[in-house]
Amino acid sequence: MPEIFVTVYDVFMRTYPGFLRATLVTLQLTAVGVILGTVIGLIFALMKISGSKILRGIANTYITIIRGTPLIVQIMFLYFGIVEIYTMDNFWAGSIALGVHNGAYIAEIFRGAIQGVDPGQREASMSLGMNRKQTMSRIVFPQALRRSIPPLGNQFIITLKDSSLVYVIGVSEIFALGNREAAQSYQPFESFLVVALYYLVLVMIFTFLLRLYENRLNVDRA
Amino acid sequence: MLTGENIHKSFGDLEVLKGVDLHVNPREVVVLVGVSGSGKSTLLRCFNFLEMINDGKIIIDGQTVNPKKDNLTKIRAEVGMVFQHFNLFPHKTVLENIMEAPITVKKMKKEDAKKLGLELLEKVGLRDKADVYPSKLSGGQKQRVAIARSLAMQPKVMLFDEPTSALDPELVGEVLQVMKQLAEEGMTMVVVTHEMKFAKEVADRIVMLDKGVVIESADPKTFFENPKNERTRQFIQLVE
Repeated sequence: MPEIFVTVYDVFMRTYPGFLRATLVTLQLTAVGVILGTVIGLIFALMKISGSKILRGIANTYITIIRGTPLIVQIMFLYFGIVEIYTMDNFWAGSIALGVHNGAYIAEIFRGAIQGVDPGQREASMSLGMNRKQTMSRIVFPQALRRSIPPLGNQFIITLKDSSLVYVIGVSEIFALGNREAAQSYQPFESFLVVALYYLVLVMIFTFLLRLYENRLNVDRA
Repeated sequence: MLTGENIHKSFGDLEVLKGVDLHVNPREVVVLVGVSGSGKSTLLRCFNFLEMINDGKIIIDGQTVNPKKDNLTKIRAEVGMVFQHFNLFPHKTVLENIMEAPITVKKMKKEDAKKLGLELLEKVGLRDKADVYPSKLSGGQKQRVAIARSLAMQPKVMLFDEPTSALDPELVGEVLQVMKQLAEEGMTMVVVTHEMKFAKEVADRIVMLDKGVVIESADPKTFFENPKNERTRQFIQLVE
Protein backbone atom coordinates (compact mmCIF):
# COMPACT_ATOMS: atom_id res chain seq x y z
CA MET A 1 0.00 0.00 0.00
CA PRO A 2 1.32 3.48 -0.77
CA GLU A 3 2.86 5.25 2.18
CA ILE A 4 0.30 8.03 2.21
CA PHE A 5 -2.63 5.70 2.94
CA VAL A 6 -0.77 4.21 5.83
CA THR A 7 -0.02 7.55 7.41
CA VAL A 8 -3.57 8.84 6.87
CA TYR A 9 -4.88 5.66 8.42
CA ASP A 10 -2.55 6.14 11.36
CA VAL A 11 -3.67 9.71 11.89
CA PHE A 12 -7.29 8.65 11.61
CA MET A 13 -6.96 5.87 14.14
CA ARG A 14 -5.02 8.02 16.56
CA THR A 15 -7.41 10.93 16.42
CA TYR A 16 -10.88 9.49 16.02
CA PRO A 17 -11.93 9.63 19.70
CA GLY A 18 -11.25 13.35 19.70
CA PHE A 19 -12.84 13.86 16.31
CA LEU A 20 -16.02 12.08 17.35
CA ARG A 21 -16.38 14.53 20.22
CA ALA A 22 -15.62 17.38 17.81
CA THR A 23 -18.17 16.03 15.35
CA LEU A 24 -20.77 16.22 18.07
CA VAL A 25 -19.84 19.86 18.65
CA THR A 26 -20.05 20.58 14.90
CA LEU A 27 -23.49 18.97 14.76
CA GLN A 28 -24.66 20.96 17.78
CA LEU A 29 -23.40 24.20 16.24
CA THR A 30 -25.16 23.33 13.00
CA ALA A 31 -28.39 22.38 14.77
CA VAL A 32 -28.57 25.63 16.73
CA GLY A 33 -27.55 27.60 13.65
CA VAL A 34 -30.20 25.96 11.52
CA ILE A 35 -33.03 26.13 14.05
CA LEU A 36 -32.30 29.70 15.03
CA GLY A 37 -31.77 30.62 11.38
CA THR A 38 -35.12 29.09 10.43
CA VAL A 39 -36.97 30.99 13.15
CA ILE A 40 -35.24 34.27 12.27
CA GLY A 41 -35.70 33.56 8.55
CA LEU A 42 -39.42 32.97 8.97
CA ILE A 43 -39.91 36.16 10.96
CA PHE A 44 -37.97 38.28 8.47
CA ALA A 45 -39.65 36.64 5.47
CA LEU A 46 -43.05 37.59 6.92
CA MET A 47 -41.77 41.10 7.57
CA LYS A 48 -40.55 41.34 3.99
CA ILE A 49 -43.92 40.45 2.51
CA SER A 50 -45.91 42.48 5.03
CA GLY A 51 -47.75 45.64 4.12
CA SER A 52 -45.75 47.74 6.57
CA LYS A 53 -42.98 49.85 5.09
CA ILE A 54 -41.17 49.96 8.43
CA LEU A 55 -41.12 46.18 8.84
CA ARG A 56 -39.99 45.74 5.25
CA GLY A 57 -37.27 48.32 5.82
CA ILE A 58 -35.98 46.56 8.94
CA ALA A 59 -35.95 43.20 7.16
CA ASN A 60 -34.17 44.62 4.12
CA THR A 61 -31.54 46.32 6.27
CA TYR A 62 -30.86 43.12 8.18
CA ILE A 63 -30.56 41.04 5.04
CA THR A 64 -28.34 43.60 3.31
CA ILE A 65 -25.93 43.84 6.25
CA ILE A 66 -25.69 40.09 6.81
CA ARG A 67 -25.31 39.18 3.17
CA GLY A 68 -22.86 42.00 2.63
CA THR A 69 -20.35 41.02 5.32
CA PRO A 70 -18.25 37.87 5.80
CA LEU A 71 -19.42 35.30 8.30
CA ILE A 72 -16.06 35.26 10.03
CA VAL A 73 -16.39 38.99 10.71
CA GLN A 74 -19.90 38.46 12.05
CA ILE A 75 -18.66 35.73 14.38
CA MET A 76 -15.89 37.95 15.76
CA PHE A 77 -18.14 40.96 15.97
CA LEU A 78 -20.85 39.07 17.83
CA TYR A 79 -18.43 37.27 20.13
CA PHE A 80 -16.51 40.35 21.21
CA GLY A 81 -19.59 42.55 21.01
CA ILE A 82 -21.64 40.34 23.29
CA VAL A 83 -18.84 39.66 25.71
CA GLU A 84 -18.82 43.40 26.41
CA ILE A 85 -22.38 43.26 27.70
CA TYR A 86 -22.97 39.72 28.73
CA THR A 87 -20.59 36.86 29.45
CA MET A 88 -21.35 34.07 27.06
CA ASP A 89 -19.36 30.96 26.27
CA ASN A 90 -17.88 30.71 22.83
CA PHE A 91 -20.11 27.81 21.74
CA TRP A 92 -23.22 29.93 22.15
CA ALA A 93 -21.67 33.01 20.62
CA GLY A 94 -20.63 30.93 17.61
CA SER A 95 -23.93 29.16 17.12
CA ILE A 96 -25.91 32.37 17.54
CA ALA A 97 -23.69 33.98 14.91
CA LEU A 98 -24.42 31.05 12.59
CA GLY A 99 -28.14 31.43 13.26
CA VAL A 100 -28.15 35.17 12.64
CA HIS A 101 -26.14 34.65 9.46
CA ASN A 102 -28.40 31.89 8.19
CA GLY A 103 -31.52 33.83 9.07
CA ALA A 104 -30.84 36.29 6.26
CA TYR A 105 -30.45 33.59 3.64
CA ILE A 106 -33.37 31.53 4.93
CA ALA A 107 -35.58 34.64 4.96
CA GLU A 108 -34.97 34.97 1.23
CA ILE A 109 -35.70 31.27 0.71
CA PHE A 110 -39.02 31.54 2.54
CA ARG A 111 -39.96 34.80 0.86
CA GLY A 112 -39.35 33.31 -2.57
CA ALA A 113 -41.31 30.18 -1.70
CA ILE A 114 -44.27 32.12 -0.31
CA GLN A 115 -44.39 34.45 -3.28
CA GLY A 116 -43.98 31.47 -5.59
CA VAL A 117 -47.29 29.94 -4.52
CA ASP A 118 -49.86 30.48 -7.27
CA PRO A 119 -51.92 33.62 -6.49
CA GLY A 120 -54.98 31.55 -7.43
CA GLN A 121 -54.50 29.59 -4.20
CA ARG A 122 -54.84 32.75 -2.15
CA GLU A 123 -57.85 33.84 -4.16
CA ALA A 124 -59.58 30.49 -3.81
CA SER A 125 -59.00 30.56 -0.09
CA MET A 126 -60.26 34.13 0.27
CA SER A 127 -63.29 33.37 -1.90
CA LEU A 128 -64.24 30.63 0.56
CA GLY A 129 -64.32 33.19 3.34
CA MET A 130 -60.99 32.46 4.93
CA ASN A 131 -59.23 35.52 6.33
CA ARG A 132 -55.63 36.53 5.64
CA LYS A 133 -54.23 34.66 8.60
CA GLN A 134 -56.13 31.45 7.85
CA THR A 135 -55.18 31.69 4.19
CA MET A 136 -51.53 32.10 5.10
CA SER A 137 -51.33 29.39 7.73
CA ARG A 138 -53.60 26.77 6.14
CA ILE A 139 -53.12 27.23 2.40
CA VAL A 140 -50.11 29.30 1.39
CA PHE A 141 -47.58 28.38 4.04
CA PRO A 142 -47.82 24.58 3.84
CA GLN A 143 -47.27 24.81 0.10
CA ALA A 144 -44.43 27.29 0.49
CA LEU A 145 -42.75 25.01 3.02
CA ARG A 146 -42.65 22.18 0.53
CA ARG A 147 -41.08 24.43 -2.05
CA SER A 148 -38.52 25.58 0.51
CA ILE A 149 -37.23 22.15 1.41
CA PRO A 150 -34.68 21.69 -1.39
CA PRO A 151 -33.09 25.16 -0.96
CA LEU A 152 -33.31 24.83 2.84
CA GLY A 153 -31.47 21.53 2.66
CA ASN A 154 -28.81 23.24 0.63
CA GLN A 155 -28.57 26.01 3.20
CA PHE A 156 -28.25 23.44 5.99
CA ILE A 157 -25.29 21.85 4.23
CA ILE A 158 -23.68 25.26 3.88
CA THR A 159 -24.24 25.83 7.60
CA LEU A 160 -22.60 22.55 8.48
CA LYS A 161 -19.51 23.53 6.55
CA ASP A 162 -19.60 27.17 7.68
CA SER A 163 -19.59 26.02 11.29
CA SER A 164 -15.86 25.39 10.79
CA LEU A 165 -15.35 29.17 10.94
CA VAL A 166 -16.20 29.37 14.63
CA TYR A 167 -12.78 27.84 15.33
CA VAL A 168 -11.58 31.46 15.36
CA ILE A 169 -13.28 32.00 18.71
CA GLY A 170 -11.91 28.77 20.10
CA VAL A 171 -14.80 26.32 19.79
CA SER A 172 -13.46 22.74 19.63
CA GLU A 173 -15.24 21.57 16.55
CA ILE A 174 -13.86 19.43 13.72
CA PHE A 175 -11.78 22.06 11.99
CA ALA A 176 -10.30 23.44 15.22
CA LEU A 177 -9.25 19.98 16.26
CA GLY A 178 -7.75 19.23 12.84
CA ASN A 179 -5.85 22.48 12.96
CA ARG A 180 -4.43 21.61 16.35
CA GLU A 181 -3.64 18.09 15.25
CA ALA A 182 -1.82 19.35 12.15
CA ALA A 183 0.35 21.66 14.23
CA GLN A 184 1.17 19.13 16.93
CA SER A 185 1.87 16.14 14.72
CA TYR A 186 3.68 17.92 11.88
CA GLN A 187 1.34 16.00 9.55
CA PRO A 188 -0.80 18.84 8.15
CA PHE A 189 -1.66 17.10 4.90
CA GLU A 190 -2.93 13.93 6.57
CA SER A 191 -4.72 15.88 9.29
CA PHE A 192 -6.66 18.10 6.92
CA LEU A 193 -7.47 15.15 4.71
CA VAL A 194 -9.07 13.51 7.72
CA VAL A 195 -10.91 16.75 8.48
CA ALA A 196 -12.21 16.87 4.90
CA LEU A 197 -13.40 13.28 5.18
CA TYR A 198 -15.43 14.02 8.29
CA TYR A 199 -17.21 16.89 6.59
CA LEU A 200 -17.72 14.93 3.41
CA VAL A 201 -19.30 11.98 5.22
CA LEU A 202 -21.53 14.26 7.28
CA VAL A 203 -22.72 16.09 4.18
CA MET A 204 -23.37 12.82 2.37
CA ILE A 205 -25.44 11.47 5.25
CA PHE A 206 -27.36 14.70 5.38
CA THR A 207 -27.97 14.74 1.63
CA PHE A 208 -29.24 11.18 1.79
CA LEU A 209 -31.68 11.96 4.62
CA LEU A 210 -32.88 15.03 2.79
CA ARG A 211 -33.56 13.09 -0.39
CA LEU A 212 -35.45 10.49 1.60
CA TYR A 213 -37.61 13.22 3.09
CA GLU A 214 -38.23 14.92 -0.25
CA ASN A 215 -39.30 11.63 -1.80
CA ARG A 216 -41.70 11.02 1.03
CA LEU A 217 -43.26 14.45 0.52
CA ASN A 218 -43.70 13.79 -3.17
CA VAL A 219 -45.31 10.43 -2.51
CA ASP A 220 -47.75 12.11 -0.12
CA ARG A 221 -48.88 14.54 -2.72
CA ALA A 222 -49.13 12.11 -5.60
CA MET B 1 -80.01 38.87 -4.61
CA LEU B 2 -76.96 40.45 -6.19
CA THR B 3 -76.85 43.94 -7.57
CA GLY B 4 -74.09 46.05 -9.01
CA GLU B 5 -74.81 49.71 -9.55
CA ASN B 6 -72.67 51.99 -11.65
CA ILE B 7 -69.56 49.89 -11.08
CA HIS B 8 -66.27 51.45 -12.07
CA LYS B 9 -62.98 49.62 -11.91
CA SER B 10 -59.59 50.70 -13.22
CA PHE B 11 -56.21 49.07 -13.21
CA GLY B 12 -53.83 51.98 -13.30
CA ASP B 13 -54.78 54.07 -16.31
CA LEU B 14 -56.86 51.32 -17.83
CA GLU B 15 -60.55 51.64 -17.05
CA VAL B 16 -62.00 48.14 -17.37
CA LEU B 17 -65.49 48.71 -16.03
CA LYS B 18 -67.12 52.00 -16.94
CA GLY B 19 -70.34 52.10 -14.97
CA VAL B 20 -71.83 48.62 -15.08
CA ASP B 21 -75.35 47.98 -13.79
CA LEU B 22 -76.37 44.40 -13.20
CA HIS B 23 -79.21 43.07 -11.12
CA VAL B 24 -79.54 39.36 -10.46
CA ASN B 25 -82.78 38.06 -8.95
CA PRO B 26 -82.92 35.15 -6.53
CA ARG B 27 -82.82 31.79 -8.36
CA GLU B 28 -81.88 33.54 -11.57
CA VAL B 29 -79.12 32.27 -13.84
CA VAL B 30 -77.33 35.08 -15.65
CA VAL B 31 -74.76 34.30 -18.29
CA LEU B 32 -72.22 37.04 -18.92
CA VAL B 33 -70.74 37.15 -22.40
CA GLY B 34 -68.43 39.46 -24.26
CA VAL B 35 -65.20 39.47 -26.17
CA SER B 36 -61.90 39.09 -24.39
CA GLY B 37 -61.09 42.23 -22.44
CA SER B 38 -64.70 43.35 -22.17
CA GLY B 39 -64.52 43.20 -18.36
CA LYS B 40 -66.66 40.15 -17.60
CA SER B 41 -64.14 38.40 -15.38
CA THR B 42 -63.27 41.64 -13.63
CA LEU B 43 -66.94 42.24 -12.91
CA LEU B 44 -67.23 38.79 -11.37
CA ARG B 45 -64.15 39.35 -9.25
CA CYS B 46 -65.57 42.64 -8.03
CA PHE B 47 -68.72 40.85 -6.87
CA ASN B 48 -66.54 38.66 -4.69
CA PHE B 49 -64.31 41.55 -3.57
CA LEU B 50 -61.22 39.91 -4.98
CA GLU B 51 -61.02 43.25 -6.75
CA MET B 52 -62.14 46.46 -5.03
CA ILE B 53 -64.37 48.71 -7.08
CA ASN B 54 -63.34 52.35 -7.55
CA ASP B 55 -66.87 53.65 -7.69
CA GLY B 56 -70.44 52.38 -7.49
CA LYS B 57 -72.31 50.04 -5.21
CA ILE B 58 -72.56 46.31 -4.66
CA ILE B 59 -75.66 45.03 -2.90
CA ILE B 60 -75.78 41.44 -1.72
CA ASP B 61 -79.02 40.01 -0.38
CA GLY B 62 -80.39 43.50 0.27
CA GLN B 63 -77.27 44.76 2.05
CA THR B 64 -75.08 47.41 0.50
CA VAL B 65 -71.51 46.32 1.08
CA ASN B 66 -69.09 48.87 2.39
CA PRO B 67 -65.65 47.35 1.75
CA LYS B 68 -64.01 49.64 4.28
CA LYS B 69 -66.33 48.84 7.18
CA ASP B 70 -67.87 45.44 6.49
CA ASN B 71 -66.31 42.11 7.20
CA LEU B 72 -65.35 41.07 3.68
CA THR B 73 -64.41 37.54 4.68
CA LYS B 74 -67.97 36.98 5.84
CA ILE B 75 -69.38 38.38 2.60
CA ARG B 76 -67.02 36.34 0.46
CA ALA B 77 -68.18 33.21 2.27
CA GLU B 78 -71.72 33.95 1.09
CA VAL B 79 -70.67 34.36 -2.52
CA GLY B 80 -69.24 31.20 -4.02
CA MET B 81 -66.63 31.43 -6.73
CA VAL B 82 -65.45 28.87 -9.26
CA PHE B 83 -62.26 29.70 -11.14
CA GLN B 84 -61.08 28.92 -14.63
CA HIS B 85 -58.01 27.14 -13.29
CA PHE B 86 -59.87 25.36 -10.45
CA ASN B 87 -57.36 26.44 -7.79
CA LEU B 88 -57.80 23.31 -5.73
CA PHE B 89 -55.43 23.05 -2.78
CA PRO B 90 -52.78 20.58 -4.02
CA HIS B 91 -51.58 19.66 -0.52
CA LYS B 92 -55.00 18.46 0.57
CA THR B 93 -57.09 15.51 -0.55
CA VAL B 94 -60.32 16.05 -2.44
CA LEU B 95 -62.36 15.62 0.73
CA GLU B 96 -60.03 17.88 2.74
CA ASN B 97 -60.36 20.55 0.06
CA ILE B 98 -64.09 20.59 0.68
CA MET B 99 -63.88 20.33 4.47
CA GLU B 100 -61.31 23.11 4.84
CA ALA B 101 -63.51 26.21 4.77
CA PRO B 102 -66.46 24.80 6.77
CA ILE B 103 -64.03 23.82 9.53
CA THR B 104 -61.83 26.93 9.59
CA VAL B 105 -64.46 29.55 8.77
CA LYS B 106 -67.72 28.13 10.08
CA LYS B 107 -66.07 26.18 12.93
CA MET B 108 -68.01 23.12 11.85
CA LYS B 109 -67.21 19.88 13.66
CA LYS B 110 -64.86 17.63 11.74
CA GLU B 111 -67.32 14.76 11.41
CA ASP B 112 -70.09 17.08 10.24
CA ALA B 113 -67.78 18.62 7.67
CA LYS B 114 -66.82 15.17 6.50
CA LYS B 115 -70.45 14.16 6.14
CA LEU B 116 -71.18 17.35 4.20
CA GLY B 117 -68.12 16.84 2.02
CA LEU B 118 -69.10 13.30 1.11
CA GLU B 119 -72.65 14.39 0.31
CA LEU B 120 -71.36 17.09 -1.99
CA LEU B 121 -68.95 14.69 -3.67
CA GLU B 122 -71.87 12.34 -4.23
CA LYS B 123 -73.73 15.22 -5.83
CA VAL B 124 -70.94 15.95 -8.30
CA GLY B 125 -70.38 12.25 -8.92
CA LEU B 126 -66.96 11.94 -7.31
CA ARG B 127 -67.67 10.12 -4.08
CA ASP B 128 -64.99 7.53 -4.96
CA LYS B 129 -62.29 10.21 -5.29
CA ALA B 130 -62.62 11.52 -1.72
CA ASP B 131 -59.17 10.44 -0.57
CA VAL B 132 -57.07 11.16 -3.64
CA TYR B 133 -55.00 14.31 -4.20
CA PRO B 134 -56.08 16.78 -6.87
CA SER B 135 -53.04 15.99 -9.04
CA LYS B 136 -54.63 12.62 -9.78
CA LEU B 137 -57.82 14.11 -11.22
CA SER B 138 -58.73 15.14 -14.74
CA GLY B 139 -59.57 18.79 -15.37
CA GLY B 140 -63.28 18.06 -15.42
CA GLN B 141 -63.06 16.21 -12.12
CA LYS B 142 -61.03 19.03 -10.60
CA GLN B 143 -63.63 21.57 -11.57
CA ARG B 144 -66.44 19.44 -10.14
CA VAL B 145 -64.51 19.23 -6.86
CA ALA B 146 -64.03 23.01 -6.97
CA ILE B 147 -67.79 23.44 -7.36
CA ALA B 148 -68.42 21.08 -4.43
CA ARG B 149 -65.86 22.98 -2.35
CA SER B 150 -67.62 26.23 -3.04
CA LEU B 151 -71.05 24.74 -2.29
CA ALA B 152 -69.80 23.55 1.09
CA MET B 153 -70.05 27.13 2.36
CA GLN B 154 -73.73 27.20 1.35
CA PRO B 155 -73.35 30.40 -0.65
CA LYS B 156 -76.32 32.54 -1.60
CA VAL B 157 -74.89 33.19 -5.05
CA MET B 158 -72.42 31.25 -7.16
CA LEU B 159 -70.05 33.00 -9.53
CA PHE B 160 -68.42 30.98 -12.31
CA ASP B 161 -65.42 32.52 -14.06
CA GLU B 162 -65.01 30.65 -17.36
CA PRO B 163 -65.31 27.30 -15.58
CA THR B 164 -64.80 25.21 -18.72
CA SER B 165 -62.25 27.30 -20.62
CA ALA B 166 -59.24 25.38 -19.34
CA LEU B 167 -60.77 21.98 -20.07
CA ASP B 168 -60.24 19.55 -22.90
CA PRO B 169 -63.38 19.57 -25.07
CA GLU B 170 -64.49 16.09 -24.01
CA LEU B 171 -64.50 17.14 -20.32
CA VAL B 172 -66.64 20.24 -20.71
CA GLY B 173 -69.94 18.35 -20.64
CA GLU B 174 -69.55 16.83 -17.18
CA VAL B 175 -68.93 20.26 -15.63
CA LEU B 176 -71.82 21.92 -17.45
CA GLN B 177 -74.04 19.05 -16.35
CA VAL B 178 -73.28 19.78 -12.68
CA MET B 179 -73.91 23.49 -13.25
CA LYS B 180 -77.20 22.75 -14.98
CA GLN B 181 -78.26 20.61 -12.06
CA LEU B 182 -77.42 23.45 -9.67
CA ALA B 183 -79.47 25.85 -11.74
CA GLU B 184 -82.41 23.47 -11.66
CA GLU B 185 -82.16 23.30 -7.87
CA GLY B 186 -82.65 27.06 -7.80
CA MET B 187 -79.13 28.33 -7.14
CA THR B 188 -78.61 31.96 -8.07
CA MET B 189 -75.77 31.97 -10.55
CA VAL B 190 -73.67 34.37 -12.57
CA VAL B 191 -71.66 32.56 -15.22
CA VAL B 192 -68.96 33.91 -17.48
CA THR B 193 -68.69 31.43 -20.32
CA HIS B 194 -68.17 30.94 -24.02
CA GLU B 195 -70.46 27.89 -24.03
CA MET B 196 -73.37 29.27 -26.03
CA LYS B 197 -75.29 26.02 -25.88
CA PHE B 198 -75.24 26.21 -22.11
CA ALA B 199 -76.32 29.85 -22.25
CA LYS B 200 -79.25 28.99 -24.50
CA GLU B 201 -80.40 26.03 -22.42
CA VAL B 202 -79.78 27.15 -18.88
CA ALA B 203 -79.61 30.94 -18.70
CA ASP B 204 -82.63 32.97 -17.70
CA ARG B 205 -80.89 36.00 -19.05
CA ILE B 206 -77.82 36.72 -21.13
CA VAL B 207 -75.91 39.91 -20.50
CA MET B 208 -73.42 41.22 -23.01
CA LEU B 209 -70.53 43.36 -21.83
CA ASP B 210 -68.59 45.45 -24.29
CA LYS B 211 -65.72 47.80 -23.46
CA GLY B 212 -66.74 47.93 -19.82
CA VAL B 213 -70.46 48.58 -20.19
CA VAL B 214 -73.59 46.42 -20.51
CA ILE B 215 -74.85 46.68 -24.05
CA GLU B 216 -77.46 43.94 -24.09
CA SER B 217 -79.53 42.13 -21.48
CA ALA B 218 -82.20 39.76 -22.66
CA ASP B 219 -83.62 36.27 -22.36
CA PRO B 220 -81.72 33.76 -24.50
CA LYS B 221 -84.30 33.65 -27.28
CA THR B 222 -84.39 37.41 -27.73
CA PHE B 223 -80.63 37.65 -27.26
CA PHE B 224 -79.83 35.26 -30.08
CA GLU B 225 -82.72 35.95 -32.43
CA ASN B 226 -83.40 39.61 -31.99
CA PRO B 227 -80.53 41.50 -30.37
CA LYS B 228 -80.81 45.25 -30.16
CA ASN B 229 -77.16 46.16 -30.38
CA GLU B 230 -75.03 45.87 -33.49
CA ARG B 231 -72.01 44.69 -31.47
CA THR B 232 -74.09 41.88 -30.01
CA ARG B 233 -75.09 40.81 -33.51
CA GLN B 234 -71.42 40.69 -34.53
CA PHE B 235 -70.56 38.71 -31.40
CA ILE B 236 -73.27 36.15 -32.08
CA GLN B 237 -72.07 35.69 -35.63
CA LEU B 238 -68.57 35.19 -34.32
CA VAL B 239 -69.47 32.49 -31.81
CA GLU B 240 -72.07 30.59 -33.79
